[in-house]
Amino acid sequence: MYQQIAMYATVFFVFLLALAFAFVYGESKRSGEYSTIQEKGYKIRKFYFLGLIAIMAFATVMTLGRLPYDSNQAEAEGLNEGKVVKVTGIQYAWEMSEETFKAGDKVQFDVTASDVTHGFGLYNENMELVAQTQAMPGYTNTVYYTFKEPGTYQILCLEYCSAGHHVMVKEIVVEPEGGASDE
Amino acid sequence: MNEAIHPLARKTVVWHLAVTSLVLILMMIFGVIMLMNQGEMISITPQWFYKIMTAHGTGMVGIAALGGTAILWYFLSKYVKLNPAILIVNFVLFLTGVSMVLIAIFVFDFSDGWTFLYPLPAQSAKMYGAAGAVFFLSGMLVLGFGFLILYMYLAARLTAVYGGLGKALGWDIIFRGKKGYGPPAAVVATAMVIITNSTALLAGATVLAASLVNIINPAVTMDPLLAKHLTYAFGHIFANCTIYMAVIAVYEVLSEYTKRPWKANKVFLIAWNCSTLFTLMIYTHHLLMDFAVPKWMLIIGQVFSYANGLPVMVVTAYGALMIVYRSRMKWDFASSLFFLSMFGWVAGAIPAIIDATIVVNHVMHNTKWVPGHFHTYMGMGVVAMIIGFMYYFNKTEGNQEHRGIDTFTIALYFVFYGTCGLFPLCRRNQCTKKMVRTPAAMGAVRPGRRSQRNLYRSGRNHLHRKIFSGLRYVGSQVPYQKNQQLAEK
Repeated sequence: MYQQIAMYATVFFVFLLALAFAFVYGESKRSGEYSTIQEKGYKIRKFYFLGLIAIMAFATVMTLGRLPYDSNQAEAEGLNEGKVVKVTGIQYAWEMSEETFKAGDKVQFDVTASDVTHGFGLYNENMELVAQTQAMPGYTNTVYYTFKEPGTYQILCLEYCSAGHHVMVKEIVVEPEGGASDE
Repeated sequence: MNEAIHPLARKTVVWHLAVTSLVLILMMIFGVIMLMNQGEMISITPQWFYKIMTAHGTGMVGIAALGGTAILWYFLSKYVKLNPAILIVNFVLFLTGVSMVLIAIFVFDFSDGWTFLYPLPAQSAKMYGAAGAVFFLSGMLVLGFGFLILYMYLAARLTAVYGGLGKALGWDIIFRGKKGYGPPAAVVATAMVIITNSTALLAGATVLAASLVNIINPAVTMDPLLAKHLTYAFGHIFANCTIYMAVIAVYEVLSEYTKRPWKANKVFLIAWNCSTLFTLMIYTHHLLMDFAVPKWMLIIGQVFSYANGLPVMVVTAYGALMIVYRSRMKWDFASSLFFLSMFGWVAGAIPAIIDATIVVNHVMHNTKWVPGHFHTYMGMGVVAMIIGFMYYFNKTEGNQEHRGIDTFTIALYFVFYGTCGLFPLCRRNQCTKKMVRTPAAMGAVRPGRRSQRNLYRSGRNHLHRKIFSGLRYVGSQVPYQKNQQLAEK
């Protein structure tokens, strides 16, 4: 959802921006008194500024209550009542305390690394990135995810970790709720 | 002709621009090699891919800083008398640092990326030998030292002429109610860059030195999270400031072409002071997926990343639109590129601001969205300003003239970087062969040849009718295994 919002928002704002530049380019062939242009331009700028502030304030209010690392929110949603899985990144593999899950499992991934910094990126069967955190030596980052759909998920390294970075991929199987996968 | 600039400095500016051009071409070739490898038009080993990736990232930030420095020096010379020896020292140290970095990469196989994220260099040193990491980290130190000398000198000159960096940033007008306009835009921008980049360079020097010590004596370690803070305090600020140096040319040249003043009024000065403060603060948006960082610090990363867009959008880019509006300005290579560069700056900043939203970053951090953003920002913003300045410089100091083909090249250039900005749109069924795999910030994946052909065929068929549906898959990546599965089916 956030990926779509980001894309459409970017396309929308860049389109508006392009319109503004195209308009000014078209108008650049005419002449006008600069002091008058400045006077009018500064008036418009006030509304433009307030409009941007309003958009940013709206985005801030809408998003800061849903932080992925908010343990209070995880507690409220019952996410921390599920499985706890320890994940360790090592050049170039993922070691996990558990690798098989069922749809509906609420999982708490405690992610760390034993050598260099890696990125724990969880992808669903449609190859959509659904959750991530950094895997860093000396630190444990906790990320919560509920497997809503069965299928083969993959963990890709999302932080460059040297020449084998691209092979640092692990598959995890999420079986349908109440039974094994048909396959 | 800029009579105020010392003839020796003018020559050194030429050298800065010549090196910038040559390295830019080389870096573009490197970029195309990586894309061709991903498109399986050529085949290079992963080791070579990552070496080229390291050179590409380091080189682009390096020449953006070098070109920006040439612009800053050239225009600042109009207002402050500058000693060309410092610019020459900067240039020599730059070349020395670059040589060391190139030796590290291409002689000693260093390939840890331009972010050299601690403790990766030490780990690589154990596997491939210490020489590569030592050459690279030392080369970066030399480069940084060259820029630090430059900024310290400029700080001394601004202090001598304007009474301090605060006054150069117009504090007496903002805080003490002094009437009138502040110093010229070139001076204001220089003061901003001195403060931010000196801080960045000190942070960078700390982590570089610590990494070097760690390689020489592994018993001496550093906290990886602190190292990451220092790395991005260096990397983000330094890369960000390249545009704050280059934009000086836009202020100066658009003002000259339109015959309209672009003076530092109170709003202008407040905007640049905000940029100074925010640029120092927002590097934490690179650590949004480091959950161990205090939450308040990450929220600062989001909120102030938003705020940092305001001075650019409301004052600088808006000012460019206002000064051009009904100006009957002559459109040539320089003015066209400077005008478009302001579009590129904002168009590149918008996706960055959106990605700085923590909930968005959670599903887009280190995906192809990131190179999409910075290729737009760098290519259509910073580099457009630098190339525009090259034309302006040759026209002002030489005999360069605008030709018809120049307009075509500008269009071609922006289409090229506009395409680079489309990286994030690319997904398996919506991709053309060339676009099928683009490395994330530091996350390149090289698909197999057979799968790549399949991808190309399906991409070619689906591109036209599914281009908009591709928007739904922003931020996703196509992994090696997935491609194999697709190919087998």
